[in-house]
Amino acid sequence: MTYQDVKPGEVLLAVDNISLSFGAVRAISDVSFDINKGEIRAIIGPNGAGKTSMLNCINGFYHPQQGTITYKGQKRSAMKPYEAAAQGIARTFQNVALFKGMSTLDNIMTGRNLKMKSGIFSSMLWYGGAQKEELEHRRYVEDIIDFLEIQAIRKTPVGRLPYGLQKRVELGRALAAEPELLLLDEPMAGMNLEEKEDMCRFILDVNDEFGTTICLIEHDMGVVMDISDRVMVLDYGGKIGDGVPAEVRANQQVIDAYLGGGH
Amino acid sequence: MEDMMYELLFFLEVLFSGLLTGTLYSLVALGFVLIFKASGVFNFAQGAMMLFAALSLVGFQEMLGVHWTIAFVLTVALMVVVAWCIEKFVLGKLVNQEGIILFMATIGITFFLDGFGQTIWGSDIKTLDIGLPTGSIDLGGIFVDRLELVAGLTAAALVVSLAIFFNKTKIGRALRAVADDHQAAMSVGISLRTIWIIVWSVAGVVGLVAGIMWGSKLGVQFSLTLLALKALPVLMLGGFTSIPGAIIGGLIIGAGEKLAEIYIGPFVGGAIENWFAYMLAMAFLLVRPQGLFGEKIIERV
Amino acid sequence: MFYREAGQFKSSYKEDQAIFPILQDRVGIAAILLFAYIAIPFVMSDYLIGAIMTPFLILALAAIGLNILTGYAGQISLGTGAFMAVGAFSAYKFATFSIMLGGAEATLPLVVTILLAGVVTAIVGIMFGIPSLRIKGFYLAVATLAAQFFIEWLLVKVGWFTNYSPSGVITAPPLVILGFEFNTPAEKYLFTLTFVAAMALLAKNLVRSHIGRGWMAIRDMDIAAEIIGFRPLQTKLSAFAVSSFFCGVAGALWAFVHLGTVEPEAFGINRSFAILFMVIIGGMGSILGSFIGAAFITLLPIFLNNVPPLIGWNIGVDMIAHLEFMIFGVLIIFFLIVEPHGLARLWTIGKEKLRSWPFPY
Repeated sequence: MTYQDVKPGEVLLAVDNISLSFGAVRAISDVSFDINKGEIRAIIGPNGAGKTSMLNCINGFYHPQQGTITYKGQKRSAMKPYEAAAQGIARTFQNVALFKGMSTLDNIMTGRNLKMKSGIFSSMLWYGGAQKEELEHRRYVEDIIDFLEIQAIRKTPVGRLPYGLQKRVELGRALAAEPELLLLDEPMAGMNLEEKEDMCRFILDVNDEFGTTICLIEHDMGVVMDISDRVMVLDYGGKIGDGVPAEVRANQQVIDAYLGGGH
Repeated sequence: MEDMMYELLFFLEVLFSGLLTGTLYSLVALGFVLIFKASGVFNFAQGAMMLFAALSLVGFQEMLGVHWTIAFVLTVALMVVVAWCIEKFVLGKLVNQEGIILFMATIGITFFLDGFGQTIWGSDIKTLDIGLPTGSIDLGGIFVDRLELVAGLTAAALVVSLAIFFNKTKIGRALRAVADDHQAAMSVGISLRTIWIIVWSVAGVVGLVAGIMWGSKLGVQFSLTLLALKALPVLMLGGFTSIPGAIIGGLIIGAGEKLAEIYIGPFVGGAIENWFAYMLAMAFLLVRPQGLFGEKIIERV
Repeated sequence: MFYREAGQFKSSYKEDQAIFPILQDRVGIAAILLFAYIAIPFVMSDYLIGAIMTPFLILALAAIGLNILTGYAGQISLGTGAFMAVGAFSAYKFATFSIMLGGAEATLPLVVTILLAGVVTAIVGIMFGIPSLRIKGFYLAVATLAAQFFIEWLLVKVGWFTNYSPSGVITAPPLVILGFEFNTPAEKYLFTLTFVAAMALLAKNLVRSHIGRGWMAIRDMDIAAEIIGFRPLQTKLSAFAVSSFFCGVAGALWAFVHLGTVEPEAFGINRSFAILFMVIIGGMGSILGSFIGAAFITLLPIFLNNVPPLIGWNIGVDMIAHLEFMIFGVLIIFFLIVEPHGLARLWTIGKEKLRSWPFPY
């Protein structure tokens, strides 16, 4: 498989007519949308609308029964999540999915795993190749730690951290993979205003400085309308709106879905 | 022609004996399932509970010189105390821990009960005789061990009464509610502690019945706990949460290992009963990871 | 007052990532090694060295092996004994290989024999680890019981493994390295110590590398680990392989250095449980804990056998065995409730307290 390099503004990932169901439950029905390189793309919708399922399809955790996903101009066959990760798709989770038994530093270091090549034997011997590699990646991870302003909790086991910081560490872990496409599943859920502002700043900075394409799910409408370039709205597994924030805000179907008028 | 007839009868005899032994495995597996359903604990100590119950039954009989029915009642009371202690000193302290931690805690319970039972009741092999029939009877040319037949019928009776208990009584409904969702059950006023004590007591009684059957057959001795481990492949086959699964899994394992021992054993040096059940279950799981009756789990993130 | 890291600044990530970043710890470990190498062979009697120190070290190695699988990678195993048996018997086959071909004595160097035994065990471990991809948790624990019972049976039933010894017992060849024969308990102890210390270092290096982080990631949350790019197949099987390698080497040492003559029953299910207990009591996910746990489990029976008579309390041998069972049971539960990270964690907490002693503010 060969992937084309995608220039900013071109389509990085396209989802065409995908449907996903679990038994009789239909999670996504016939949804198409695309993500352009370099943009911040939001997916919104009421609970149970199929937003997380959509992210799960994109990173290969669920396999839609119908439809295709095209990534960098290449139609993707069903793949495992680790294959999607190897292609530059990283993500965070709705319920923080950090490795509880490990420190902040180690958690973020796991994000570098795809770039670390030393084998079992050289890792066992350590001095030499493995140590050098470890230090190189440590340097990169320390930059992320500085960027996210979490120097003080470097050695703290993540289980002991407050929720807001855990979300930040999780973002760090995803960033460590130097992803091309970053999927954020409710990065600001359960945060207070100040934490939300920090997180917004990080997301915008990542998008700005590294040119990382971001696709995020968020419930806070203010935030979504502020930071995203385009917004897609899902309801009951179907797409009911798509466009720049102003368009979506004016869409009657979307207003109905949110105010409950349509049902 | 006569040879074939004989072969067939012999096959049926082996099969039948295997199925009946299987019901004994099912009895132990049943205890596991009850506890797993209600508390999500994989109770490695079920075998130790069985041995402890059987030891106590014989011990009460010898020590007090009473009829076995009185000893039975005393043992049931003792198993309730054991259940209470387990809830109070072990599970109650490990609420919200991961399954694997609870599993290892039950290994601790296993060792404690094994040591404790033998400390108070002694460690020599004891004969358990409550007047169950022995010898074999002739069912149309197939010879069937009477004790195994009784064990089979007892297992069936136990399953029926458990089914009634679960489906018709108030406690049974509460148990099912807890099995479904701990939090929700607690929020409608069901006491988790009480439920756990009841479930562990019931599992203790199931263990006692299993112990009586096994003890009558082989004598009450430490090696029963190893036999009880056979319930584990039964569970893998049947799924951890299914009572019918425990029964059918037991029958498959019992029949499978007897047939394998007779028909494959001689070619590989015999004694394959030690591992056949595990290998069978493992091979099966590779094809169907959730067991025969388990539900397929949809993973979410 | 003396145990402080204040003033010890790290000016590079390299220093920060050392195994013992604090000076006092480095001094401590050097002192322990010196003591183990020099003092113990002189101070302890041959009997104590042979009956306590050598088995303790070998079991610690097996506990490291199981800890890699259970403590680091989160895959529970009840088949450690069987993997040790594979190590012991394959070491025996490698050692007698040239004799079978008509040669006079073992020609493979001893260390190579033992390491090859580890490699064979690693391969067997991978085979029994394959189900871990489809089955998890308790199911896997039961599957490892299959390994335990099947391997035990195989070694008893198939004469080839024991070179058709009628009793099913194998006798290890003399321990010779470069013409030097390890004869006395002290010599055997030093041989074991060197082996175990070196392998513990290798294990420590591995668990702090990206490979070790992969194991812990799979342990803590397997789905997330896969989504960030760890391949479940490679990660789990590498844990099985490395863990089995360590257990296999421990088994080979147990047969060759400690016992001399072995039968498969020496590696029964009780051995598996004993090593699991070392890991739980010592501390899951800790190399140091494996040593502490092994010491604890080795010493407890000796303590129980000797202390009651000293205080005038005479109890029978089988009573001691039952007491041992009960105490193990209670300790397991105690540690799981109070400190799931075992004695190693208590040690760390002790050190943290010591840092601020005697002025906690």
